[in-house]
Amino acid sequence: MEKNKWPPGDLVIWFFIMAELLVFGVFFAAYAFTRANNIELFNEFQLTLDRNAALINTVALITSSYFVVRAVAAIRDDNSKRCFHWLLAALFMGLVFLVVKGYEYHHHFSLGINLNTNTFYMFYLSLTFFHFLHVILGMIILLAVALKARTGGYSAAEHTGVETGASYWHMVDLVWMILFPLVYVMR
Amino acid sequence: MEDKKFIRPCTIIYLLLLALTVTTWFIGTKGFSGMQISLMVLGFALIKGQLIGDYFMGLKQVAGFWRWTVTLWLILVGCLVSYAFSLNA
Amino acid sequence: MKYESQKVAKLYFTAAIGLFVGQILFGLILGAQYVMGDFLFPEIPFNVARMVHTNLLIVWLLFGFMGAAYYLVPEEAETELFAPWLAKLMFWIFLAAGAATILGYLLVPYATLAELTMNDLLPTMGREFLEQPTITKIGIVIVALAFLFNIGMTILKGRKTVVNLVLLMGLTGLAVFFLFSFFNPVNLVMDKYYWWWVVHLWVEGVWELILGAILAFILIKTTGVDREVIEKWLYIIIAMTLITGIVGTGHHYYWIGTPEFWQWWGSIFSAMEPIPFFMMTVYAFNMVNKRRRNHPNKAAVLWALGTAVMAFLGAGVWGFLHTLAPVNYYTHGTQITAAHGHMAFYGAYVMIVLAMISYSMPMMRGREACNSARAQSMEMWSFWLMTISIVFITLFLTGAGILQVYLQRFSDNPMPFMVVQDKIALFYWLREITGFVFLLGLGLYIASFFVGKNEPEATVELAK
Repeated sequence: MEKNKWPPGDLVIWFFIMAELLVFGVFFAAYAFTRANNIELFNEFQLTLDRNAALINTVALITSSYFVVRAVAAIRDDNSKRCFHWLLAALFMGLVFLVVKGYEYHHHFSLGINLNTNTFYMFYLSLTFFHFLHVILGMIILLAVALKARTGGYSAAEHTGVETGASYWHMVDLVWMILFPLVYVMR
Repeated sequence: MEDKKFIRPCTIIYLLLLALTVTTWFIGTKGFSGMQISLMVLGFALIKGQLIGDYFMGLKQVAGFWRWTVTLWLILVGCLVSYAFSLNA
Repeated sequence: MKYESQKVAKLYFTAAIGLFVGQILFGLILGAQYVMGDFLFPEIPFNVARMVHTNLLIVWLLFGFMGAAYYLVPEEAETELFAPWLAKLMFWIFLAAGAATILGYLLVPYATLAELTMNDLLPTMGREFLEQPTITKIGIVIVALAFLFNIGMTILKGRKTVVNLVLLMGLTGLAVFFLFSFFNPVNLVMDKYYWWWVVHLWVEGVWELILGAILAFILIKTTGVDREVIEKWLYIIIAMTLITGIVGTGHHYYWIGTPEFWQWWGSIFSAMEPIPFFMMTVYAFNMVNKRRRNHPNKAAVLWALGTAVMAFLGAGVWGFLHTLAPVNYYTHGTQITAAHGHMAFYGAYVMIVLAMISYSMPMMRGREACNSARAQSMEMWSFWLMTISIVFITLFLTGAGILQVYLQRFSDNPMPFMVVQDKIALFYWLREITGFVFLLGLGLYIASFFVGKNEPEATVELAK
């Protein structure tokens, strides 16, 4: 099969994705190296995190990503309506993520935990909240794409916008694939 | 036709991602610890990342520089994190 | 130039260049005072010269931004300026207020100036870069509001383009964050905390939006590349700028009494601040390479490309040098900061204003598209002289900074500040000499407005 020279979607979003990945990469490394100097602290407070919530969220993001894949497939099939529906489903899973994460934050905040509590919580809150903002941004992009798809703005011939939004959303998912084990599980 | 060729592998990948996620979660809830376990969990994460890059993001169909962007990032993050976790093991 | 009212920009640009000359002259006086402590004392003490040097820079850049906006917005919106008379009136008010303030700095002691301007009623004076008397600050707010009103109404009645909206966003942010200059908490930590909301969120936040919009405008005009392509880049660049720049404020919050997480946030996010600048470089060169036509105003294109490169070096690379908390622990407030400050301000903001002047001035002075070949050639000479001078000034200050950090803070037997200053005097001398080369470049730049006036416009040699 003939390979493409460029990744799907607008090339500019890929520059953005690379930049975002770089920021997250630096953040992950900072977490790991700081942990190496504070292992007991990190191990102790990691136990206070809700792994079940994190599981639900991981499943939500993966599922959402999969729905976006279906949306891209639908528009390649020239089916705007189906594309729109899959995007709505993906957005719903994004919403699930936000609600569950919000519940986790609520739990921590009600215990009076904040950025100054200790280094572990500083990283936990910073990393997950930075990612949280990306979920919101990704959802805004998906919503814009979905609304355009609904009015038939894309077709099998021209659907760069769908692929662009999809690529960004997969990046949000990709980052969480590392964040989840790193912050919630690895000890 | 094109549709199925694209969706079927992605569905399999999706199920695989779920399986790896549940495994990771299981290890987490059992509280297993230590460098080997951590590196294994990290390995799962890197595989998941690669699968998302290859199939969901469609980089498998790309040749040249962009084909390897996600992979390079995963290698970089993987190396840094595993080095950090090996420090006090 | 399509609209008569764009011409008000000429006033603003002329004043900007005039004040630029003043800034450089005071820079030279300051540079001399570094090596001859009593130079021009007591007429112009060091602190006054420094105040004039930095305040003039900010004021002339503001004139430049306003001029750029008055030129760019009508053309983008495809309509005349809402109220050209207001733009002219505000120009004279701003110029008078600026001149009076500078004269106040020079003629009376700062404390007397504070008394004369009734600083007691609402104390805002005495803080670095925001030294202006309270009444001047109020004047700035009035000018800024009238300016925003004028620009906003023009955009509202005309075509809405991404360039215009990004510019308006940047200018609004500029006005809003300036309001924090009136907030002067007694607690020193709080004071510094909000002080950076003006200083940092200007130059590493909203000003970058202004820079991005002006650069995009010039690239659209000179390369003929599709607006959509340039707008896409603009979106990504400003998104990245805001993500990294806003949280990057944290790199000013190390060890000043703010919570410790700022060390992490500041380090990580500000370390990423070079990325949008790098993107800007890639995109500027890309657009010029993809150009659909060759614009005869080569000088303007040179300034635009120069901005992209020098902003990346000065703001990006030299900023990164000392932005990580563990590094900044040693370099804080040394000549490294001065090195970064010089190249970043020149590379990002001086050059973009000069690029805009270079692009628009010929048309406002009655040319079709550009100056004569002779004038352009002289302008390009001035580009290289000033740019290379700044590179060397930056390198000398970096050298001074590294030595200073080592002798004063890092070595086993740290020396006192003044002893170290003596030891790095050689670098200060070299910087001062380079400063004169810069002045020469500036002279050539001004001369380029007057040569080749009667010669025909430069034309494009047929493109490859």
